[in-house]
Amino acid sequence: MAASMNPTAVEARTLVKQYGATRAVDGVSFQVGRGEIFGFLGANGAGKTTTLRMLCGLVSPTSGQALIDGFDIHGQPLEAKSRLGYLDEEPFVHPHLTGREFLEYIADLYRMPRGPERQRRMERLLRLFELADRDGELISAYSHGMRQKIGLASLLIREPSVLLLDEPTNGLDPRSARLVKDLLEELAARGTAVLLSTHILEVAQALCRRIAIIDRGHIVATGTMDELRAQAGSEHASLEDLFLKLTAGPESRELIERLLAPNS
Amino acid sequence: MMAPPAIRTILGAEVRGLWNRLVKRGATRLVVLGALLAVAIVVIGGAVFSLGDAAAQFLPMARDAMLAGGFTALSVLMLVVGFPSVIATFFVGRDLLQLVLAPVRPVEIFLARAVLAMTANLLISGILIAGVFGVGVGSDASPVYYALALLLVFVIVMVVTSFQVMVMSLIIRWVPARIARDFAAGVAALVGVGFYLTWNVSLRRSFGASRVPDFSNLAAFAQRTDWLPSAWPGHALSAVIAGDWSSAIVWTLFCLAFGVMLVGAAGILYQRTLLAGLGLFGGGQAVWKRAPARRPKSMASGAGSPARAIARKDWLGYRRDIRRLSRLLPALLFPVGYALTLIRPSRTLNGLWSDVAVAAFISMFVSMALAVPSIPSERRGFQLLRMSPLAMSEIIRVKVALTLPPVLALTMLLTIAMAVVGGVGIAELLQLLVLVIWLVIGFVSVGVSAGAIDPNFEAADDRRAVGLLGTMTSTGGAIAFALLSIGAFALFHLGAAAATGARLGPLPSTPAVAALIAGAGALLAAAAGALVVVLLVVANSRLRAYEGAISST
Ligand SMILES: Nc1ncnc2c1ncn2[C@@H]1O[C@H](COP(=O)(O)OP(=O)(O)OP(=O)(O)O)[C@@H](O)[C@H]1O
Ligand SMILES: [Mg+2]
Repeated sequence: MAASMNPTAVEARTLVKQYGATRAVDGVSFQVGRGEIFGFLGANGAGKTTTLRMLCGLVSPTSGQALIDGFDIHGQPLEAKSRLGYLDEEPFVHPHLTGREFLEYIADLYRMPRGPERQRRMERLLRLFELADRDGELISAYSHGMRQKIGLASLLIREPSVLLLDEPTNGLDPRSARLVKDLLEELAARGTAVLLSTHILEVAQALCRRIAIIDRGHIVATGTMDELRAQAGSEHASLEDLFLKLTAGPESRELIERLLAPNS
Repeated sequence: MMAPPAIRTILGAEVRGLWNRLVKRGATRLVVLGALLAVAIVVIGGAVFSLGDAAAQFLPMARDAMLAGGFTALSVLMLVVGFPSVIATFFVGRDLLQLVLAPVRPVEIFLARAVLAMTANLLISGILIAGVFGVGVGSDASPVYYALALLLVFVIVMVVTSFQVMVMSLIIRWVPARIARDFAAGVAALVGVGFYLTWNVSLRRSFGASRVPDFSNLAAFAQRTDWLPSAWPGHALSAVIAGDWSSAIVWTLFCLAFGVMLVGAAGILYQRTLLAGLGLFGGGQAVWKRAPARRPKSMASGAGSPARAIARKDWLGYRRDIRRLSRLLPALLFPVGYALTLIRPSRTLNGLWSDVAVAAFISMFVSMALAVPSIPSERRGFQLLRMSPLAMSEIIRVKVALTLPPVLALTMLLTIAMAVVGGVGIAELLQLLVLVIWLVIGFVSVGVSAGAIDPNFEAADDRRAVGLLGTMTSTGGAIAFALLSIGAFALFHLGAAAATGARLGPLPSTPAVAALIAGAGALLAAAAGALVVVLLVVANSRLRAYEGAISST
């Protein structure tokens, strides 16, 4: 990969996305450095997926800029896209291709040189994700987790320098989830920038050097665990406590009690 | 308090969903849709009505055959056209899973869905009603006729729907579940094509080489289908016209009894197979089972080529998605049948012009069938193309380039066959071929653009993959392109005639006039080309800005 000298791999500059009357994302800015794993946390509907889709060019922002390796995803899309790998919440696949054909398709789409080396890489990926003995089956017959895995494999086959992953461990069994975590750490150590959204706080805490918490379209906190604790003013709080405190809603215990109260 | 009955709840939700879908489209779309619908009702309905009226007046002996044949033909059409929708209403869809989980009896689901499924046949039954009413007016029928006609059309729609459900239920029992839906669609399509071709052959014999049409074949064909239950309503209605009340009552009772029987049987079968069908279809698409892994010996070298990758994927997709194939085959067979009917040894100079018309029609039909869905059929996979380092213009170019060869091959083959049968000279054949190539390039570009202008990548059903705007663009664009191109072709012809000094009516045949006419032709051709370019540019910018809902879960 021809990595430019720019140390910032992903940069969101006051991204805004308006859907009719709702502001799904309202002025989000952050940077992800090369070799960094950056976590993106937030409640359902907070705007994580929308932000990631703006960063990868699937959704155009109402205002603001998204830069990949210094290339504006809308200004210089081809340069930016060739460096980028994005995994959607529900991976985009072609149901009528087999797993192996799908990987070939993606590799060709990105103009990867054909030949034995590419073949070897594909074998390794299929084996890594335990898809090797199902590679001749149509993707439409894959289970949810297998689709997630073939989606990941289709990113990794072309070695992008920036990975944007929307809940990558969603639907994976514990073993595969562990595999993905180890893989991401290894990739980051080799210089890949990873931006991932997740609801699993344990994944975020274990994996991410820095974390951003987004709430109703705004980033309410960014930084390392320690910086987050400092921002929240509680020194020994767990990530869960921080998350609940920063994305404050009505106290859940009270609501539950009201729901379960006997009818008077 | 009593809970509302399940059927009302289910129907209420469906109606609300339909309403929301309509309203959310926005006011302009609604107005356009309404206007189109009104025009269609006036034009098609009016035409069918007058046809029925005239036929009933001038061929009083054929009223029974006409009514019976009309009911049968349109039943077959409903059977084929409505099949995917009926399957979808009864056997597919996550909302059905929800109903199955709820404490609702399958009969209630069946009845609620039957009402919904009838909407799929609304258009065709509307045409049928227009024709039947026309026959009534043409034969001075009593008011009873019209009331009975409405009732019988309703019965026939229920019969067709029940029949479709029964076929599907039986197929689910015998055919491997994964391919059941495609199998059913294929069977329906083949039945339709078979009917159509037989009809065509009868037509060809009737209107064949002799100058006086010979209706005996047509009548014989109608008689052969006389016994079909779908013809019974026709008999009942013609008996009313003839004032033969006892046979009218008998035929009507037959229809009603048959309808009740079929609805009952379908209800029972549906109860038995609903779960089986749902468990298997509830999720993604049905596909053929694949032979286990066959390692490709892809030792090819060189850089991967996106165009080749897309071509390969599309080819594999067509081969494996039987549903797409089953929709494509009839679309390709219809123009062949049409050509067969119309090709006749040409007797006059006009032969060339009828060949031009047929060639234009065939190119348009085949191009549209293949080109319009080429981008929308990417479905969610289109997002992969959007994320890849490919410009949208490149994707459009690849799609046009991929669609051209099969369409060109097919249309040129048909054109040559037509020319050979029609005894067209070699010079004229060459002109025809040039015209066909020009037309196909234009039509395919228009079709691909139209698909790109208004795609619906989230559509569950292939037929919804292109929106209203896209359909209008493809039809309007293709017709405009055809008119401009054929106009240019005609002017070139006229110009050539003027240059050789042929008589051109009021125009003097001088070189200056010839040049003027040819210049006008060139202008028209340029306009046709400009139209295509504009559509391609619009398609490109629409695709670049595309942001339709990416299924969010
Ligand atoms: N295509 C769309 N049209 C209208 N509103 C949308 C669209 N896509 C997203 N939204 C809205 O934008 C907001 C943010 O959605 P988004 O999918 O980004 O949330 P998320 O953080 O990814 O949630 P989750 O954790 O549930 O995946 C939501 O309120 C959603 O309803
Ligand atoms: Mg999301």
